[in-house]
Amino acid sequence: MRSAASSATIPEIDATQAPRADHCRQRRFAYFHINVIAKGRRFGRHIVMVNWANFVSQVFNGLALGALLALISSGLTIIYGTLGVLNLAHGAMFMLGGYAGYVAYTYTGSFIVAVAAGSLFVALVGILMERIIIRHFYDRPHEDQLLVTFGLGIVFVELARLVFGSQSQIVPAPPLFAGITSLGFMFYPTYRLAVVGIIAVALTVLFVVLYRTRIGMIVRAGIEDSVMVDALGINVYRVFMIVFGIGAMAAGFAGIVNAPVVSLTPGIGDDILVQTFVVVVIGGVGSFPGAVLGGLIAGEIISITSMFNPGYAYVMLFAAMTVVLVVRPYGLLGTKGRE
Amino acid sequence: MPKRRRYLIEMFTAAGLIVAPFILPHLGFAPNTVNRILVWGLFGIGFDILFGYCGLLSFGQSAFFGTGGFVAAYLLTRAGFPNVLLALVIGMIAAAAVSYLVGLVALRRTGIYFAMITVAIAEVFFFVEFNPLSAFTGGENGLPGVPMPSFNLGFATLRFSDGWSLYQFLAVCYFIGIVIALRIVRSPVGAILSAIRDNPLRAQAIGHNIHGYKLAAFVIAAAYAGFAGGLLGVLQAFMPPDAFTFETSGQLVMQTAIGGIGTLFGPLLGAAVWLFLQDFLQSALNLGAAWKLVLGTVFVLLVTFLRRGLIGGLKDLYELVAHPKKPAEPTEAASLSDFSAAAGSDAAAMVPHKRAADRGSGPILQASGLSKQYGGLRANSDINFTVNHGELRGIIGPNGAGKSTFFKMLTCEIPPTSGKILFEGRDITGKSVTDVCQLGLTKSYQVNQLFTELTVRQNLTVAVLADLRGKFRLDLFRDPESIPGLKEQVEQTLQLVRLAGRPDTKVSDLAYGEKRRLEIGLALATSPSLLLLDEPLAGMSPQERQETVKLLKSIGQGRTMIVIDHDMDALFELAERVTVLQEGRVLVEGTPDEIKANPAVQEAYLGGVLE
Amino acid sequence: MTKKIGDRGIYSLVSRRSLLQGGAGLIGGTMLSGGISRPALAAEMPPIGTWPDGSKGDSVFIGASVPRTGTYAVQGEDELKGYQLAVAHINEGNELVKQISPKTKKGVLGKQLKLGVADSAAKPNEAVQAQQRFISENKAVMITGGTSSAVAVALNKLAQREKVLFVCGISGSNDTTGKDCVRYGFRQNFFGQTAAAAITPVLVKAFGKNKKVAYMTPDYTYGHTVTKSMQDNTATDGWTTVTDQVSPLGAPDFSSYLLNVANSGADILVNVNWGHDAVLSIQQAKQFGVLDKMKLVVPYQVPFLARETGGLMQGVYAATDYWWTLEDKFPLAKMFNAAFEKEYGYKPEWGAENAYISFVHWARMVEEAGSFYPPEVIKVYEKEETIPSLVGDVYYRKEDHQCVRPVIIVKGKEQKDMKGKEDYYDIVEIVPGKGLMQKPDAFGCQLGDYT
Repeated sequence: MRSAASSATIPEIDATQAPRADHCRQRRFAYFHINVIAKGRRFGRHIVMVNWANFVSQVFNGLALGALLALISSGLTIIYGTLGVLNLAHGAMFMLGGYAGYVAYTYTGSFIVAVAAGSLFVALVGILMERIIIRHFYDRPHEDQLLVTFGLGIVFVELARLVFGSQSQIVPAPPLFAGITSLGFMFYPTYRLAVVGIIAVALTVLFVVLYRTRIGMIVRAGIEDSVMVDALGINVYRVFMIVFGIGAMAAGFAGIVNAPVVSLTPGIGDDILVQTFVVVVIGGVGSFPGAVLGGLIAGEIISITSMFNPGYAYVMLFAAMTVVLVVRPYGLLGTKGRE
Repeated sequence: MPKRRRYLIEMFTAAGLIVAPFILPHLGFAPNTVNRILVWGLFGIGFDILFGYCGLLSFGQSAFFGTGGFVAAYLLTRAGFPNVLLALVIGMIAAAAVSYLVGLVALRRTGIYFAMITVAIAEVFFFVEFNPLSAFTGGENGLPGVPMPSFNLGFATLRFSDGWSLYQFLAVCYFIGIVIALRIVRSPVGAILSAIRDNPLRAQAIGHNIHGYKLAAFVIAAAYAGFAGGLLGVLQAFMPPDAFTFETSGQLVMQTAIGGIGTLFGPLLGAAVWLFLQDFLQSALNLGAAWKLVLGTVFVLLVTFLRRGLIGGLKDLYELVAHPKKPAEPTEAASLSDFSAAAGSDAAAMVPHKRAADRGSGPILQASGLSKQYGGLRANSDINFTVNHGELRGIIGPNGAGKSTFFKMLTCEIPPTSGKILFEGRDITGKSVTDVCQLGLTKSYQVNQLFTELTVRQNLTVAVLADLRGKFRLDLFRDPESIPGLKEQVEQTLQLVRLAGRPDTKVSDLAYGEKRRLEIGLALATSPSLLLLDEPLAGMSPQERQETVKLLKSIGQGRTMIVIDHDMDALFELAERVTVLQEGRVLVEGTPDEIKANPAVQEAYLGGVLE
Repeated sequence: MTKKIGDRGIYSLVSRRSLLQGGAGLIGGTMLSGGISRPALAAEMPPIGTWPDGSKGDSVFIGASVPRTGTYAVQGEDELKGYQLAVAHINEGNELVKQISPKTKKGVLGKQLKLGVADSAAKPNEAVQAQQRFISENKAVMITGGTSSAVAVALNKLAQREKVLFVCGISGSNDTTGKDCVRYGFRQNFFGQTAAAAITPVLVKAFGKNKKVAYMTPDYTYGHTVTKSMQDNTATDGWTTVTDQVSPLGAPDFSSYLLNVANSGADILVNVNWGHDAVLSIQQAKQFGVLDKMKLVVPYQVPFLARETGGLMQGVYAATDYWWTLEDKFPLAKMFNAAFEKEYGYKPEWGAENAYISFVHWARMVEEAGSFYPPEVIKVYEKEETIPSLVGDVYYRKEDHQCVRPVIIVKGKEQKDMKGKEDYYDIVEIVPGKGLMQKPDAFGCQLGDYT
């Protein structure tokens, strides 16, 4: 079966593993074998995929990933900042937005309707959740709020699994953005480019609402001091409800916008949740600009690390978070007193 | 829960564990399920001490569960270690050691930041198990082949195999774990942990090194987790990498919440419910993948309607049935009736014990050039202030004069921007509030800083413990009753602040005046030689004020006190000398009569006096 | 009693009475369950595992742990259908079963089969937990499961400890009958080594020598061994690895890996990812233009991959255990396809086929042994007798309990060539198994004891 190899044609192979029965070595990530032709630096046993084209691609990809994280994290941080409730169901809301949009898409075939449906559905879920459940938890210890949102997150995921099954669903990108764009040195899916743009618009809208409208001002006041807002005669519960709705909507919007990028399964919210928390902590709890900044930083950390060793990408994120917390205890843009 | 008999809980536990193998199979529990419940229950005991008693919600316990488990499994499989029990203990010690290092970093933060760090730790440990250390841990395959425990007793060999046989081993482990935990929770350390959960700031201010205690709780939780992890490996003959996942930590939290936080048995009950439903829903009802939905819904309902989990619900039910009468609402009249007994000799008995550094006469406190600046705002400028032993000094001043800031600097709650503080001739500038309290200087707060979930007696006990035991002592197994002088000091304080009539009431059930008195009592219980009182009369009715002034006078015997207040009539009656602060500076100092007549003071308060 | 971490010894921590109660209960209970070792009974065949208890009644229990949630849920459900069909056929004495196991009348040794199912979610821990329950409570005479090789390896060890036969489900790792093999475990389907050995000549013929290859590998035993087998087998034809992107199981986004691949300068992309990971990575590979730059190869085919990726498998070579168009060559395959399609409404993929045939082979072995006594059944497997299967004659190798069987090389059909909805692949070659297997001790297999 194996013929004798003609030695002349075998090119130089760096650090080739001699076949061994011991498969333990196989489990280590760090073996990238590079042919002499590709540019690379040798790093002991590692040969790292550092070349200009890859670097730029990854930085770019990090931007796309970071934008998504920024949007979702903004939602989480304003909920936590205003209500003091850590919404552990936030990842599930991201997932629900995707599925709601998927349902709308199968009925109407229109991506825009899908996006609208996804966002509004999750906004509604958020409002209902606040009204029916969370509201009764304000006078209970913090941990109870955490637990109930944690439980609700699981319920949402399992409901989606019950209705849609475990198989992945696809929401195709709108025809306008389908296909691949050539950016000179690399190809990039057009839709991912569009996502960056869409999210930038969404964040701007969120910014305008928070910083330039009256309701936004009340929300920001509520983040600072909800007791005071209440004392001023503003219906704080209504504010809370609106904030929860906005925060949830941000996650749902991100969910449906991201659906063409990754296929929908009930579990996509779980990973996002942990990353979102890391982003919120890095950026500073309760700070909208912190969430945006944190999201972009997180996206870049994940992407650039994956250039060296994809396995360590998420661990680097945690390491970065720990470093930030040691150096700046309240996150990059957070303020004391918000815990 | 009143302890009518000692060790009642332990005996019930032993009885329950012995009886279980005969009852549970009829309820549909397989021996394997029961064994798993015990392992999770043991894992949860430590977590409950950390979360239920100390209030630290950690989502990272899986890191220590896995560490203990893999160290034990590695010793038993790859390293050929012969003794199962010893390997389990070594795993436990490894987990505890690791948690000590982790805790040094993680416990610097609180609240969500602490929770996030624990999540990060769990994820990092999982990653490390999976990759860099996979040669030791078997990576994604885990470590198979963990043997069952066996003991050579000389006359017979006890070999435990699967099922009910292993149950005996696990039941003994669990029993020991519960006994130890109950001991810890009843010890002084347990009381302090509860205080830390309730009001960490005050716990610190009355002289406890809360960081040390938190770290102790963290390590204890990790030790339980590590031992339980080892048991999991033995139970399954296989140590899975899943032990390290976030889901494991999450499941632990949920089970504890279902069973009842802060009950020690909550995790066991929660695990029983969880595992039973998992089996039952999948096999009996044939729900397939939907079992998790049902479980999640049950969990949400439980958390919403049963505030303290199933055990809490059972307790409430018991209360409802056994004691249907609600206790009367606290009234002011009732609180004043506490003053019926005379103060008299009690005060003399509460003389603070001599500390090594006490000088007994001369200035007890000397502040020189004390200033505090917040950005552009100078809260205190260049204050020179001296108080002599046995003096009763008053401080007055209009709002914004910087009185509270001044007090905070004296107790070292905040560091001064410049200046020096000498207490008993010793420089305490820059020390911590805990150390300063241990030296004999403490404060009662303007806004009540009490341990609201504890009873009056428990509040005072925590304070006295700091006094009698120093700022940190790890006496985990000590019976509080065996501490000499504890009971007496608590009783005396109760008498002194007129709360001896209702020592076992929860603070949240007290009237405002009673709370205020407890606030003072808390500071008193630490046996200070210098007691600062920040607006002790705030919010009191005229009658209450009178009584409180009498109280303060009786306290003042044999003790130095500095009192801030706005009620000048009361203060002038109380104090021998008064210092007036205005706009961060000392305006004037003198006897009450001098102050009353001083035109500068009048102008400061009234803005001017028409001649 | 055990050592305690107290400072004043036993008696002050626990009241004397409860200690005595506890002690009495302990000793009593121990004697009840035979914890104290007694001299061995002088019987001919002492009880072993769940024998004879599990086969005393008129039915026997089989424990199955398949992933019904998670990354491999789709493949797990399909595999389950194969098991269920096999159980139904064996119980009724179906003609197809009799072709493979001639001694079968109804059931196995006259006993009906009962199948218990648990969700493993592709996690070893969940599977072990469920199977322990099946063994101790239901006295399962045989356990099965897999889909994830990590699960298969864990169940291998459990089976060996509990002395219950483990008939492996889908498992592609070399380790399952390699370094993690056990006396009580058996595997029917193809695996990394045989897949790589079979597909390499086809690939070299199609694409040439000295190609640069990018690998995408899922990070666990299956991924690493299959990648390694591919690398080893293609090395002699000058194929080199330019990058190996290792991703975690269930990765939500492959963009960073694919960018690395796109920039690696490779000619061929070998995607070892499986289940949903395969679907997602291939879809995203298309989005990133990777599939236009290099040729895709799937060395270990995934059931439903063609259907779920919607046309991306056109022209893609894959190695598999079974494809339904084999029915033209093998009459038993035709019978199987017909029965499966009648029951479930679609043509079976290789997961269901593997499940079905594994069970029927086991039924045959038990019939041949004449009893459920595990060492006897094992010895029948180890006789290396040639037995029929859905793809011709096969046998189980005695050194590692791996079935020696052909590997099917398929190539994705172009849309225009598809004759029906499910006609996704052309069968390029049926490679006989013998020449593909590694030497028996090459992967460090050491079977354990019989008892």
